[in-house]
Amino acid sequence: MISLKNVSKLYNEGRPNEVCAAQDIDLELARNKVTVLTGPSGSGKTTLLSMIGCLTRPTTGRVFVDGAMVSGLPEKFQTELRRTKFGFVFQRFNLIRGVSVIENVMLPAAPLGPEYHELRERAQSRLERLGLGAKADMPIEFLSGGETQRAAIARALINDAPVLIADEPTANLDTVLTERFLEIVGELQSEGKTVVMTSHDPRIWQSSHVNTVVRMQDGRIIGVDA
Amino acid sequence: MKHWLRRQRYLADFTLAALARRRVKNTGLIVIYSIIVFVLASAMMFSAALRHEAGTVLAKSPELIVQQLVMGRHEMIPGSEIEKLAGIRGVAAVKGRLWGYFYDSVNGANYTFMVPDDDSYDLQPGEAILGEGIGKARDFTWDTAPLFVTSLAGKMVKFTVRETFADDSALLTADLVLISEADFRSFFDLPPDVYTDIGVSIRNEREIGTIVQKAQLVMPNARFVTRSDIERTYQRLFDWREGLMTALAAAGVLAFAIFAAEKASGLSAEEAREIGILKAIGWDTGDVIAMKLWEGGLISFGAFLAGTVFAYIHVFSFQAGLFEPILKGWAVIYPDFALAPYIDGLQLATLFAITVIPYTAATLVPIWRAATADPDQVMR
Amino acid sequence: MIFQTPILALLLISALSSVVMLWAGWFALRLLLRWDLASGSRAQLEMERATDLVSTLFGFVMLAQLLSLLLYVFNADRMATLFVGAMCAVGTLNNNDWGFPTLYAKLAIFFVATMWLILDRADRTGHDYPLTRVKFALVLLIVPLVLAAGASELTYFLNLQADVITSCCSTEFTADTEDAGLGSDMSSLAPATALWLLAASGAAVALIGAVSLIWKRGTMLFAAAGAVFFVVALTAIISVISPYVYEHPTHHCPFCILKPEYNYFGYVLYVPLFLGTAFALGAGLLQPFRKVESLAATLPARIRKQVALSLASFVVFGLVVLWTIWQSQLILFG
Ligand SMILES: Nc1ncnc2c1ncn2[C@@H]1O[C@H](COP(=O)(O)OP(=O)(O)OP(=O)(O)O)[C@@H](O)[C@H]1O
Ligand SMILES: [Mg+2]
Repeated sequence: MISLKNVSKLYNEGRPNEVCAAQDIDLELARNKVTVLTGPSGSGKTTLLSMIGCLTRPTTGRVFVDGAMVSGLPEKFQTELRRTKFGFVFQRFNLIRGVSVIENVMLPAAPLGPEYHELRERAQSRLERLGLGAKADMPIEFLSGGETQRAAIARALINDAPVLIADEPTANLDTVLTERFLEIVGELQSEGKTVVMTSHDPRIWQSSHVNTVVRMQDGRIIGVDA
Repeated sequence: MKHWLRRQRYLADFTLAALARRRVKNTGLIVIYSIIVFVLASAMMFSAALRHEAGTVLAKSPELIVQQLVMGRHEMIPGSEIEKLAGIRGVAAVKGRLWGYFYDSVNGANYTFMVPDDDSYDLQPGEAILGEGIGKARDFTWDTAPLFVTSLAGKMVKFTVRETFADDSALLTADLVLISEADFRSFFDLPPDVYTDIGVSIRNEREIGTIVQKAQLVMPNARFVTRSDIERTYQRLFDWREGLMTALAAAGVLAFAIFAAEKASGLSAEEAREIGILKAIGWDTGDVIAMKLWEGGLISFGAFLAGTVFAYIHVFSFQAGLFEPILKGWAVIYPDFALAPYIDGLQLATLFAITVIPYTAATLVPIWRAATADPDQVMR
Repeated sequence: MIFQTPILALLLISALSSVVMLWAGWFALRLLLRWDLASGSRAQLEMERATDLVSTLFGFVMLAQLLSLLLYVFNADRMATLFVGAMCAVGTLNNNDWGFPTLYAKLAIFFVATMWLILDRADRTGHDYPLTRVKFALVLLIVPLVLAAGASELTYFLNLQADVITSCCSTEFTADTEDAGLGSDMSSLAPATALWLLAASGAAVALIGAVSLIWKRGTMLFAAAGAVFFVVALTAIISVISPYVYEHPTHHCPFCILKPEYNYFGYVLYVPLFLGTAFALGAGLLQPFRKVESLAATLPARIRKQVALSLASFVVFGLVVLWTIWQSQLILFG
């Protein structure tokens, strides 16, 4: 589904503070599998994840999604691809404050210009599925940590993207909520979605819902456990 | 097209909500913006209204005015000339006019004394009709108090005031005193059958040139002033003052543009984060630019509307109280009247061009800069 | 004379447009030297993002120039009282040699900027931005035009002279004046001939357009026909249509119809004509690129849409013309 060929990412290229955050990475992510990237802090997990999710272009190397090369595309097309193929859950969830829960969930679809009522219903059904149906019209900042995360997941699902990308999704959650999150991941997988996330939480990569664990260090992949 | 419209709706919705969230910051901006529009709009509407007013007055005056010159100076014109002018083809009517200035030593003001052109006033000797500025200058306690003036010869003359002019076109009537022909001649000590000048009405305006040529042959010593000459002079006078105002205001607009650019580029951390999030979840640079343009558009629209409406009220209901001294000149008799409401497309287009365009230009680059935030920045 | 609000506004727009275009020109030079979409370097990314800015700025210049065009004509009309012999915009524009060239330059900028935006839109649908170099080479051609228009406008306003007797629409657009300008050539065209020409070129445009829509060929010809139609239509407006609007056989002015006295009728006439021409030219502009690999899927449809829009606008124009003639009290042809 997604493959990376010899991908490297340099930050601050050509300047004295140049950093090589990812180096010569080759990786295949299979469809309908749950993959976890893990490794010490600063090992390049987030960097790799944003290249997979077309948030950043690699400095060298190529990224393919469904067989099409996407790494050389202009930003505009990467964005278009991103909104149809990927749903994102960020470490700090990144919902927009002052906006109601349901409107936050609807935001990724706005540039596509869907019919308003149809979109609203779609958002409502996502929220209901994650147990937030009653809180749809609340301002986002009134939600608890776990609820906020579920709102973020609902947002990631709004465009029916086949791939869910999550960066440290459980870093701020307790054990119960982490379990709940993993259950949701399991459900999504059973619906045919592909999930890629980063984590250095053993509860995650030891979970039965996870199919593949990719271990990283210093910007390189040092092992893949399937 | 449908998608496009709906997309615009989402962007506008989001923008409105965002504006409401940052109410304090945006209110300040809109207030300052509105003030700029207000000042410029007031100046423009005011002078356009004066110009229009002058035009209305002129429309009633004869197409051609003939003055007698002696050694290059204006002299009284004998009534016999009227016959000569009336004989020229294309001339509709010829009328001798009587008017003159009078310096009132009581309060140092200048009045214009005049015998009305049309007979409908039917002034009897001893009667007068006054412009509304005169009663004020003289501190009349009631509207029709008699007017006492001292003639050139030193005689004290009393006029009973039949009425004061209604407010319309008060610009040119504020200092006007209409009296009968007999009173006028005795007040200024004039022999019979001379006139200040002669007004000529002409049937077809396109023939003015030819008529003036012919008249010059019969009256080699006369000066011919056409209505369009006068109109031109007025227009220039008003334009010049308005232009001066605008040039002064340009400094204000410039300062405002800098201020707006500053505001637009100094994104709060909160706002920058929002844009980052939007980009990460699938908004394109173009979407963010469009959203910010909506924001600018809504702000401009609001400020433009508010500024224009307040200026309209200021100029036409409050007689442009803030600008009168600059625009009207510094006469002792100060016309104090309601201007007839008058605005046109050119004014609005100009106003738009000198306020909204600089604002937009000043904010485009900051908007673009904000919109090109790296989409992966929210990952950190 | 320059201290008049509308003039100051016009000069402001010109100055801003010039600054914007100078920057765009400088950027275009850099881009032509260094554009390389395959590179993932920061510099390339920044350049790519700057093209977004250029597009936005072009949109701004296009709209500002449209406003400036209106303002220029409005203002000329209002200033007519300041000049001996001037009765409407034509007289003011004739005050010196720069009035009409400035007007034409403004028209040209509007069309060129619209064309550029059409090209830009098309370019952005191709995943490798295939027209970027063409686009920015064009920018280099547009820069001098904008600067020249600004200079011409400034010269015009600085040299406005109150005591020059100008010729106005009554003489300018009359068939029998001595110094026959373009305007008098246009109005001296017999009304019947002008109408026939208009009908013939309209029919030709419709025919070629239909061919282009159905058989997908002749699009370049359609663009050319659209341009010809534009000129013919302007001639017809001066020669016959405006007399119908004024209901006066010898009043030919193409500007007075924009005035409130005639219910702003000119806009109904000019807007569809301008739109139709812009779309037709846009279709012709895109045509050579329809085989570019990354555009091959979308461009033909886009071109046909432009042709269709152009035809629709021209049809509206035609209907407006017919309606004008039908409801006018003036009878030119017994
Ligand atoms: N925008 C940037 N500019 C410069 N250096 C960066 C940037 N982003 C990341 N880096 C560097 O790249 C390296 C990899 O960062 P990355 O965020 O991918 O690590 P990570 O594995 O996600 O770490 P953590 O577990 O702490 O989230 C780090 O050394 C980091 O300092
Ligand atoms: Mg990380």
